[in-house]
Amino acid sequence: MLDFSILTNNIDTYLEGFLNTLKVSLLALILSFILGVIIAVMRISPMKVLQLAGTAFVEFIRNIPLILILFIFYYGLPSLGMELSGFQAGTIALSIYTAAFIAEAIRAGILSVDKGQMEAGRSSGLTYIQTMRYIILPQAIKIVIPPLGNQFINLVKNSSILGVVAGLDLMYFGDSISSATYVVFDVYIFVALFYLILTIPLSLFVGYLERRLAVTG
Amino acid sequence: MISFKHVNKHFGDFQVLTDINLEIKEGEVVVVVGPSGSGKSTLLRCINRLETITDGELMVNKKLLNSKDTNINDLRKEIGMVFQHFNLYPHMTVLENITLAPRKALGISTAEANETAMFYLNKVGIPDKADSYPSQLSGGQQQRVAIARGLALKPHIMLFDEPTSALDPEMIGEVLDVMKTLAKDGMTMVVVTHEMGFAHEVANRVVFMDHGRILEESEPAAFFSNPKEDRARLFLSRVLNH
Repeated sequence: MLDFSILTNNIDTYLEGFLNTLKVSLLALILSFILGVIIAVMRISPMKVLQLAGTAFVEFIRNIPLILILFIFYYGLPSLGMELSGFQAGTIALSIYTAAFIAEAIRAGILSVDKGQMEAGRSSGLTYIQTMRYIILPQAIKIVIPPLGNQFINLVKNSSILGVVAGLDLMYFGDSISSATYVVFDVYIFVALFYLILTIPLSLFVGYLERRLAVTG
Repeated sequence: MISFKHVNKHFGDFQVLTDINLEIKEGEVVVVVGPSGSGKSTLLRCINRLETITDGELMVNKKLLNSKDTNINDLRKEIGMVFQHFNLYPHMTVLENITLAPRKALGISTAEANETAMFYLNKVGIPDKADSYPSQLSGGQQQRVAIARGLALKPHIMLFDEPTSALDPEMIGEVLDVMKTLAKDGMTMVVVTHEMGFAHEVANRVVFMDHGRILEESEPAAFFSNPKEDRARLFLSRVLNH
């Protein structure tokens, strides 16, 4: 049986890690979503330069390990005179990494919207950006919600890399409780439960959104 | 109002339009007919630059379409377009569909845009559908909304790209009626269609195209009773006698 005294004795530490994981996840979720939309729109824009920049970003970022991006920001930037905390470096690395996947999901969603929608918007005098914003993206988002949900769940789990750079998240404090108590199994099971508190509601929420948007057609 | 001079268009190696010369004056209703793949829709889509021309000169409202000085978004506000598949925005109500461009492209207030939208919904006969979503409407109603959406910009020209081809036969009449009213009101219209009855009754001129060329251009009475070109004669015998 699990030793619940580990949980109750260290509840403050667990909670601090939990809140920081929640914080980095929310921040990275918002940042990666905004960045992902911008990159996706760049990749399908009529301008070759933007297309190229967007493609370069996606191909570069999604083909290197997340932990490498984190190390570049955490260990690499100080040599250029920029000090970031583990939390800051982690948030940035996580946002950039996730943005590449979100951009791909959103791009696929945009491309699946009927071509006639863009033509109708543009032929009524709306600019490309306006047509995207009012006509294409609201339709694409419905198609994109399931893959986006998966990306956001991955994001929460990937936030555990903060533990490597003293990012004060769940994983980091799990490690520290474990080395203070010499207990491994129970400590990490409780860490897992805290992650599930974040990811299972997220998963259910995505399912709910999917059903709700399906109704409004 | 619209003037094609020696216009050519290529898709890669394939020439879609060849030496197009066509003048359309204000208030005229010009119907473009011809077999599938003859370039009719492409010709129409060049007028608001949904397709770009390869060479030649295309003037719309005294503005050169393929010139860098022409603001295409401004020019498009003067040209309404109706598509074969309606292309209504499925996530917006009928009213929102109609007011989007007036509000965002023309900068008109929501209240005024709503008023204009209701005026045109009345005109196309479905003011009671203002708060419906496109998926709740029949094809004929959707196309009438699309016409109201085009009119809400108060354009000088209306383009129709096979507006009845995707409709159930029963619903073609209600859409053509709206278009007839529009023609009577003096709107400049360019219509690509297979509805020969409409062409006969409403058009000032019929343009017959085949293989990317304009083969014949005449008044409907003359075109339908005595087409000059063999190809036009063959086409008419096929579409009229069945």
